[in-house]
Amino acid sequence: MITATPPAEAGSATARRRFPALHAVLAVLAVVALSVASLFIGVSDVSPAALLSDSDDGTAGRILLISRIPRTLAILLTGMAVGVAGLILQLMARNKFVEPSTVGTVESAMLGILVVTVLVPAAPLLAKMGVAAVFAVAGTALFLLVLRRIPLRNTLIVPLVGIMLGGIIGAVTTFCAYRFDLLQSLNSWMIGDFSGVIAGRYEFLWLVGALTAAGYFAADRFTVAGMGSEFTTNLGLNYRAVMSLGLVIVSLISAVVVVTVGAVPFLGLVVPNLVSILIGDNVRRSVPWVALLGAGLVLLCDVLGRLIRFPYEIPVGTVLSVVGAAGFLYLLLRSRRRVA
Amino acid sequence: MKNPVKLKVAAAAAVSALTLSACGGTADAGSGQAANGAGTTLTVEHAQGSTEVSVSPETVYTFDLGVLDSLNSLGVTVAGVPQATLPESLAAYEADGYTKIGSMKEPDFEAIAAGAPDLIIISGRTADYYDELSEIAPTIDLSVDQAAQVESFKDVSTTLGRIFEQEDEVAERLTAIDASVADAKANAAEAGTGLVVLTSGGELTAYGAGSRFGLIHDVLGVKPAADISADGAHGQSISFEFIAETDPDHLFVIDRDSAIGESGDAASAVLDNELVNGTTAAAEDNIAYLDAASWYLVGYGLGNVEAMISSVNDALTN
Repeated sequence: MITATPPAEAGSATARRRFPALHAVLAVLAVVALSVASLFIGVSDVSPAALLSDSDDGTAGRILLISRIPRTLAILLTGMAVGVAGLILQLMARNKFVEPSTVGTVESAMLGILVVTVLVPAAPLLAKMGVAAVFAVAGTALFLLVLRRIPLRNTLIVPLVGIMLGGIIGAVTTFCAYRFDLLQSLNSWMIGDFSGVIAGRYEFLWLVGALTAAGYFAADRFTVAGMGSEFTTNLGLNYRAVMSLGLVIVSLISAVVVVTVGAVPFLGLVVPNLVSILIGDNVRRSVPWVALLGAGLVLLCDVLGRLIRFPYEIPVGTVLSVVGAAGFLYLLLRSRRRVA
Repeated sequence: MKNPVKLKVAAAAAVSALTLSACGGTADAGSGQAANGAGTTLTVEHAQGSTEVSVSPETVYTFDLGVLDSLNSLGVTVAGVPQATLPESLAAYEADGYTKIGSMKEPDFEAIAAGAPDLIIISGRTADYYDELSEIAPTIDLSVDQAAQVESFKDVSTTLGRIFEQEDEVAERLTAIDASVADAKANAAEAGTGLVVLTSGGELTAYGAGSRFGLIHDVLGVKPAADISADGAHGQSISFEFIAETDPDHLFVIDRDSAIGESGDAASAVLDNELVNGTTAAAEDNIAYLDAASWYLVGYGLGNVEAMISSVNDALTN
């Protein structure tokens, strides 16, 4: 494979690279600070002082291990993965205005869980995830297939097709949930929430972390595959293999996240776009940034959700909808200013 | 045994406050008390005004499962019920012989008009359709007031007793309920604190006094483990840490995911973790899984309230 940065470009790239270097340190520090805050925010008394004091019977440490560390890890893994899944889907669809929750991936995953819940209510979590993933793959593949049949790939048509497909799948899901009295359960899958995360309830998210890493190593291929099958084949890549890999990564990430914490809206849309504005479109370089920003944004929203109504919680999905919608509006207004 | 007498006085006051007047004919005040039978009407005061209703109406439609439960246990025939997955005690009404009058929240006006009912009973979920339904048939809104649940439930039951000429039977049932409330209260006084939690899709919501499950605290006197501010009928989203921290002596669990499968199965899987297992409630085996249909769907009905109280009582004396 061709190396990512041709040496000839080095001179002009140094100026651009210095910007991320400084900012990268700051961003990493911010995420670390948020993670530490996340460890010490909650109903039980867990503070550095409580952890170190001898009078404590180890409760603080136990809470830290059972509740706080798993929750923080789950947030970081989810944030990274959902951001990267959004980026990969955008590359494959060659459109910056799509993400798994607007093209039917997440809706399909929900339909999958619903079908398992109705047919085999006692199925283990892994089975539910597997079926959700299969449905997610089918839904996303359908979207990509429809896209290929559309002759003029207008920037606006692509997300519209996605929203329509997602709407149809969502309608089927809602109808089934209604008939089986599962509307309320469906509702809890639709709004991402980390309040139920404790040790033993999040470990599947490590799989999502691994998928994110895979996404990083294959990032350039998705860009190429987005150019079409002939272009890809000319560069010596197996088009079908690359598309299938992307499909599986995006669908698996969506399915696992929906099953363990629920849908995380806007993230896959806002974060890749934000990164593209900040550091440009070099995919290999933007994946770590997308992961970092995604993790940071989810962390921030979850900490906010825990603080606003303390000791009660506001689901991260709700906070993220507000923050994400504001962020997306900012992006839209900003891009218009650039055009005008 | 704190004050059953006080409760009874309150009940009596509530009943007398209810201005129910039976009168012969519609506007024919002169004829006085007509003999019971067809054509006799009475004026029913309800949540949205007063309505002229014939005594012992033949074709009755109700959207409220609590009212359905009351009428069912009084032996009154109900002809129309909403299309829903009904709890076991009322499952017979899912049969085709009963007119399906819409969903729990939305009336099917055509089906209702075609059935030409003599009385339609609505409540909170369908309260907005009062005007439309009144045009079809005499309609009464028998919502239970969240702020004064028991008094309101007694009013509703007494009203039903009057309409269906079973006042004595209703009074008897209410007295029995008073007795079991007093019984539960006595047990609650010694049972320590309690926390009411609803599970849904692995997430938890806590309900306090004044909420839709407030009966446990407000009426039966279980001491709340935490002061959960009432936010309308809805609960507060909580973490497992919240349960560990409030450390209740009794945990009352309502499983919202039990629509499919056994009630409590999904909830017990959610609650089986180190944080919840560390509480007094878990240590003393005081986690009670309340019947979701009974608490969530039916609510205040003459038969169901008895069942709800005894389920809490069983949990307290366990």
